[in-house]
Amino acid sequence: MIAVVGYYEPWWIQIIKALVIFAVGLQLVPIVLLAERKLLGRFQARYGPNRVGPYGALQPLADILKLLTKEQFRPTTSIGLLFALAPMISILTAVAALAIIPFGDVQDIFGTKVGLYGIDVSIGPLYLFALGGIAFYGIMLGGWSSGSKYSFLGAMRGAAQLISYEVSQGLALVGVLMSAQTLSLTGIVIAQKGMWYVVPQLAGFLIFMVASFAETNRAPFDLTEADAELVGGYNTEFGGGRFASYYFAEYLNVVVVSGIATTIFLGGWLLPFGIHPPGWVDPFVVLFKMGLVTFFFIWVRATLPRLRYDQLMSFGWKVLLPLATLNALVTAILVTVTH
Amino acid sequence: MSAVLFFIAAIGAITGAVGVVMLRNPFYAVLALVAHLISLAILFLLLRAQFVAAVQVVVYAGAVMVLYVFVVAYVGDQGDTLSERLRGTGPVASGLRLGGALVGGALLIELLIALLGTGLEGIDHYGAGYSEAHPEAQTFGTPAYIGRLLLTRFLLAFEVASFLLLIAAVGGVVLAYRRGGIREEERDALTPLDLIRPLGTGTMREGIGRRGS
Repeated sequence: MIAVVGYYEPWWIQIIKALVIFAVGLQLVPIVLLAERKLLGRFQARYGPNRVGPYGALQPLADILKLLTKEQFRPTTSIGLLFALAPMISILTAVAALAIIPFGDVQDIFGTKVGLYGIDVSIGPLYLFALGGIAFYGIMLGGWSSGSKYSFLGAMRGAAQLISYEVSQGLALVGVLMSAQTLSLTGIVIAQKGMWYVVPQLAGFLIFMVASFAETNRAPFDLTEADAELVGGYNTEFGGGRFASYYFAEYLNVVVVSGIATTIFLGGWLLPFGIHPPGWVDPFVVLFKMGLVTFFFIWVRATLPRLRYDQLMSFGWKVLLPLATLNALVTAILVTVTH
Repeated sequence: MSAVLFFIAAIGAITGAVGVVMLRNPFYAVLALVAHLISLAILFLLLRAQFVAAVQVVVYAGAVMVLYVFVVAYVGDQGDTLSERLRGTGPVASGLRLGGALVGGALLIELLIALLGTGLEGIDHYGAGYSEAHPEAQTFGTPAYIGRLLLTRFLLAFEVASFLLLIAAVGGVVLAYRRGGIREEERDALTPLDLIRPLGTGTMREGIGRRGS
């Protein structure tokens, strides 16, 4: 009901859609988790998990079962309410961000028109940035309420990192938004019919990807949980289900960012060379592209060493932000000249 | 549905605002302000102002309050709280009391004028028009609508505000620069590790017994 422009479905379809997106999205997390551990193993010339189930396929299930049956404890110096609230904020914002990724155009399913996305908001990526702003409090409150120096340092780094790179991430998208002349994510995909935005907006794509590594706290920018110096960063004191929430939220964020990169730069459900498959193929195309982007995330994690904190900050402010601004400026001039 | 959401958000906004004033711990006061701002964003959504709602969360909850939380978490609640200073005796406390009463009263009168002027009129309506009969009303609150307003009707105010922010940013840089950070001659004195351990500790030179030479 909120912020719906254009077409929207009857209420019962919306409930079914919410359930389907929730189920499919949450299934992606264990797959990404397993893929990462297997691939990291291969990158490091070892097998990776191969004991639980065939090819170690049940490893994520075993991990989650272990975490959920563990004792819930908290340090005596922690602040109870915030300590319990912080992981919830993290996972809530990660799941809510899943709602705007379009998996396909409006389809005819059993005589009812259904858009294969949660909601097509008129504010598009701004919805994502709003949730990203709230997600910060999950990390910050978790680190602060633990009452531990390591957690606090991790949370502080996370705070500085998130606000530094959020600006570049947003500015990197401005070029695409100006070219597509819309903020709606389905509108952006449809605007890529001729050519995916990764080609004319290559600089924007690269800046967006680099900033996304920082926003999702992934290597080489995982300074918030730098395990070599901070034990585990903001989630040092968390165990059991609460740690599982943080862990889950981190991987869900990777999935969401892959989905956004797919939608905005890689043509969403469109296939190259003008191939038009039937409508039911669309979600699988999107999932395949998301898988490729996620693989890139894992690949980079296995390849690059972690940056130093001051390197991270000076790179964000002195390199990435001017580049993103320049990209937006040049695109603005080109859009004005060609129209 | 919208009535339920309105009451949840309105109660959240009022509780948050009261919490900012009443809570003694500055960290919790800042968190209360965040809760208040997010509740306001929900109220904006109910008024069909999606763009304003998103920007409210992105800019205030996601950027400004992050800096508040950052500073308060580092500095903590040290020194006199404002309430202690208000209760004290002497010229400072009485000055604060008088100033607080004056500013609070002025704000109250201003808000009352604004509320009576436009609020009573707005009570009869359900936010912006969203009926099928007026398609032009459905664009209200979208980024395109607000962008057009900013570049036509409110262009001057928009530009003046952005200049003000630019001046503030430049001023911040100048002030930080004047304070100077670490000067060159202080830099050597500020590395206590060099005083504790001799030069070359932990290097290969130490390993072969030629440390510091």
